Amino acid sequence: MGEAESIATAEGSAQALPVSFDAVTKRYAGAEQAAVDGLSLEVGAGEICVLVGPSGCGKTTAMRMVNRMVEMTEGDIRVGGTSVRDRTPAELRREIGYVIQQIGLFPHRTIADNIATVPGLLGWPAERSVARASELLSLIGLDPELADRYPSQLSGGQQQRVGVARALAADPGLMLMDEPFGAVDPINRERLQNEFLRLQAELRKTILFVTHDIDEAIKMGDRIAVLQQGGKVAQYATPAELLMAPADDFVEDFVGADRALKRLALLRVADIDLWEAPLAHVGQATTEVRAKLEGAEVPHALVVDSDRRPLGWLSDADLRNDLVPARPDVAADPIIDRDDVMRDALSDLLQAETQYGPVVDRDGRIAGILSVEIISEFLSSRDALEEEHEAVDRPLG
Amino acid sequence: MGSLAHVLAPLAQIDDSFFKDRSESDCISDNGTFCASWAVDNIDRYIGPALEHIVLVAVSVVAGFAIALALAVLSHRRRWLMPPLTAATGILYTIPSIAFFFLLLPITGRGNLTAVIALTAYTLQILYRNIIAGLANVPAETKDAGRGMGMSDRQLMWRVEIPLAMPEIIAGLRIATVSTVAIATLAVFAGGDGLGSELVGSNITFKTGVIIAGGMAIIIAITFDLLLVLAQRLLAPWRKVRPV
Repeated sequence: MGEAESIATAEGSAQALPVSFDAVTKRYAGAEQAAVDGLSLEVGAGEICVLVGPSGCGKTTAMRMVNRMVEMTEGDIRVGGTSVRDRTPAELRREIGYVIQQIGLFPHRTIADNIATVPGLLGWPAERSVARASELLSLIGLDPELADRYPSQLSGGQQQRVGVARALAADPGLMLMDEPFGAVDPINRERLQNEFLRLQAELRKTILFVTHDIDEAIKMGDRIAVLQQGGKVAQYATPAELLMAPADDFVEDFVGADRALKRLALLRVADIDLWEAPLAHVGQATTEVRAKLEGAEVPHALVVDSDRRPLGWLSDADLRNDLVPARPDVAADPIIDRDDVMRDALSDLLQAETQYGPVVDRDGRIAGILSVEIISEFLSSRDALEEEHEAVDRPLG
Repeated sequence: MGSLAHVLAPLAQIDDSFFKDRSESDCISDNGTFCASWAVDNIDRYIGPALEHIVLVAVSVVAGFAIALALAVLSHRRRWLMPPLTAATGILYTIPSIAFFFLLLPITGRGNLTAVIALTAYTLQILYRNIIAGLANVPAETKDAGRGMGMSDRQLMWRVEIPLAMPEIIAGLRIATVSTVAIATLAVFAGGDGLGSELVGSNITFKTGVIIAGGMAIIIAITFDLLLVLAQRLLAPWRKVRPV
């Protein structure tokens, strides 16, 4: 079994486990208010559920009760249908991945040994642990040469990746992540988030993700639970629902005034209908191009090469020549990828101070034109959606 | 003081051969700073005491380390034990060594056992404090991660906390060992072995003898210290690495 099994599990064959909080309460001795008061929440298998809220809302306490790092006072939490109280804390924790903001790598152990922590506790044979560690290193995109290094020799971003790999080592059906990217600089955070989403698309773990950052919640979450003081769920909804129809003033405040713009972060360029521009081929007669420009959606002609890759926009001066040049006057910048997030695409357009950006597919071939106008139309149609959703999304009670 | 003289009398018995050697050389009769020829002829007589000294120190430090580690592990999770244990090991350390030997004589009699008990007691203060400090310095997030991945308290202690406390533990061992090498020269007052019998027992006024015995004690201390530095490199390799 050994290696074959561990490789199979890396592809996500381990069963993702649903989690359910049933009226969970945590009261600390001597505290007047409960830290978490009657929290009920269902997290579907294979989903990223983000617990988000201001500091002191009990989100971390709620998460830590799942692996019994904090013992609940009342209620029950079930992971994969079994109460967390049915196992000893140590047994339970070995079945649940655990990532914290401060990472907490063991400074005295090599990267490979750090990753193999839980396999070691579970008594895996050494060869299998070693194989698993190197497999995970490549899964998280780290050089296998780093296996024998110590944590202090890695950058913060690399350490955080190792922290994630370590949590994945025994292929748990559930991962708890407490502000996992909170201590990383903004550029690296963005990169780590994207990497993690890509990984999750493959692994399909159930993930309980705690953050105080609503933007991160919107980006990472399949569903978001907005918590307020005492671990009360103000709203539990998908990111789009949360942005379109905040349940109350608290959620609306927390989500922020720029929620229209935040919706753009949820959307990829491929998700909306693009415009078409008249295409011109190198060496084509400009008279043909001028004919195409009549009544076109985009009032400029885009020059493409023989593989339909954009080369640039034809200027009026270009059009006065007889033939379409190989190097048009106006560069095609910015070239937008169909998989780009809409917010980034808009930012690219604004930065380049242009109305139109050619959108290309994975092979760099033209797929359409994105314009600032398309985006603003999309944003204004949001209001209609909001009306529609408002009644539906209010939580019961 | 009468009793002290009484105790010391048998120790200070004059060794005939010692003075026979002395009378054969001008350097010896003049008690020069260092009589090289005498040293060469008589180096053998110091080998035995030096080995005894090493054993005395090693046994005491190992015993002291075992006790200090047990006390530290015990009090690490029972914080209330820490102040009384710190105080107790501190008080032991303040007892003057010769007084300590005499306090033990009625109970354990003259001999190496008495010496080892006293020497062990002296190591406790430094070792206990350093182990406690080392354990306290383990980052909270490292412990949280260990526990959160399913380590039991015992696994956390032996796999994470003690290895990470190793630099402080070894620093404590170095101080304890070097000071024990020095204090062990007084074991002769408890009837113990070691270089003290050559320093105090033979003739404290003979400079060459004092220099050889003292020099050997210094060499022993330095050797132990180097071995512990080496141990630190082997046990805490992660402290030496350079960030890439």
